[in-house]
Amino acid sequence: MESRTFILKHKLPIARVEKYWKGLEEGKVYGTVCKICGAKYYPPQVDCSKCYNSEVEWVEISGEGTIECFTQLHSFPQGFEFVGRPYTIAIAKFGDFKVMGWYEGDIPKVGEKVKIKTGKDETGVWKVYFEPWGELNEHRL
Amino acid sequence: MRVGIIGVGCSKFGVRDDVTLQELAFEAVKEAIEDAGISKEDIEMSVVGTAGTRSYELMPAVPINEYCGFTGKGPIRVEAACATGSAAVYTAYSTIKSGIADVVIAIGVEKMNEVDTPTSLAVGGRSGSYLWEFHQYGTTFPGYYAMHASAHMARYGTTEKQLAMVAVKNHRNAAKNPKAQFQKEITLEKALSSRYVAYPLRLFDCSAITDGSAAAILASEEKIKELGLKDQAVWIEGIGYSSDTANLSKRIDYVGLKATVEASRMAYKMAKIDDPVKQLDVAALHDCFTIAEIMAYEDLGFCKKGEGGKFIENGDSDFGGKIPVNTFGGLKAKGHPLGATGVGMVYEIVKQLRGEAGELQVDLKNYKGLTHNIGGTGHFGWVFILGV
Ligand SMILES: [Zn+2]
Repeated sequence: MESRTFILKHKLPIARVEKYWKGLEEGKVYGTVCKICGAKYYPPQVDCSKCYNSEVEWVEISGEGTIECFTQLHSFPQGFEFVGRPYTIAIAKFGDFKVMGWYEGDIPKVGEKVKIKTGKDETGVWKVYFEPWGELNEHRL
Repeated sequence: MRVGIIGVGCSKFGVRDDVTLQELAFEAVKEAIEDAGISKEDIEMSVVGTAGTRSYELMPAVPINEYCGFTGKGPIRVEAACATGSAAVYTAYSTIKSGIADVVIAIGVEKMNEVDTPTSLAVGGRSGSYLWEFHQYGTTFPGYYAMHASAHMARYGTTEKQLAMVAVKNHRNAAKNPKAQFQKEITLEKALSSRYVAYPLRLFDCSAITDGSAAAILASEEKIKELGLKDQAVWIEGIGYSSDTANLSKRIDYVGLKATVEASRMAYKMAKIDDPVKQLDVAALHDCFTIAEIMAYEDLGFCKKGEGGKFIENGDSDFGGKIPVNTFGGLKAKGHPLGATGVGMVYEIVKQLRGEAGELQVDLKNYKGLTHNIGGTGHFGWVFILGV
């Protein structure tokens, strides 16, 4: 038998980190730095988990990043069928910040240099993209 | 006061669309009670470990507890992602240690096949830090471990072939385990030619989507003496736990799991283990993906960091090797029903230490074994040392 249909759709309270989401629309990726103890946060947060103060500075993450790890997904989760092709997720390091993003290319290499960009997908969700710095890697799949 | 395990039970793992969550839990509970040789009435408290969400029963602890006849005795419901079962055993242990109860049952159960595969992948992917990972990037569980594999391969030269060797070993063992989801061997060629699920992980690098249950009955040393069960008790000699960040972007690196390192350090100290490979006879490691088993060899100190690939290649984790790992088939081939997995590991190590593992029995010299259970990608880490 089948159960009754049950749709779960949540509201996301982003009021305190609105600057981040606005920033993506302006092509900027922000992290936060605690004004009291200097702890750095990406994803950004406005309460410091280290010193328990809530005064942070918003800083832009830019420049040259280095890929630390990646994967290319061939089995898609519910909600991402729209992509319609394998997509590549990577974590790249920009100075003191590590950032997750979609890699614009096929298969990256660990250690590869990337530029940070923002953009929105077909469903209207803004996110971070990594653009290969140099030439694209050979097509492996 | 020591705490011992006096009875264990485990259902057949696999696609269990023949039973409800409650009926599935009942299978393991019944076997555990019969194994202990006690009466159901001797059990004073129940702990129900189930990660949930993939089953239509959204708050399943009480329905499970009712069906197993423990109404009024608990339940305490615990959740620690893929390490939920270990959190259940820990809670049972703590309840006894605190003096609240003398006999406690830890029940781990999961039904993951009540939803389709894309939904199951979404539940796993949403279990990191939803807003910053899944919502934006569509992460999946295979994807999280694949990211670790990419880093491990780049730094240490670990190969796809070495990953596949973990799958081949664990399938070979599962072929002899009647409780396993996949009772069949696979070849290296088959593993290496299977499709990518999350590059660089292929289909045979991944555990499947599994339904299953396991149960363990724990009791205080005094109660064990009173019940006359000293000969069958397996003692919990060490417990270690840790955790890591929800956001992968906050991790130091991606070549190992800090939660494993910290949990094992704590468990080894408590159980007085300084050379795990020499002092342990058998180990159940968290091989939800083949890379996870390779990282676990290193993080648990079975070999040096970066040498996990060589460890499998040399047969060090096979029967007759330095320390047989996942003799029961592991999560990879026995199956990985999240809530049941940690309790299922305890079930398998208890069977080994009692010399009841049949064709899969290891040689016992120290009469000590280890279970290593990870929730998420090191979001939770548990290590138990069991001994007789
Ligand atoms: Zn601070």
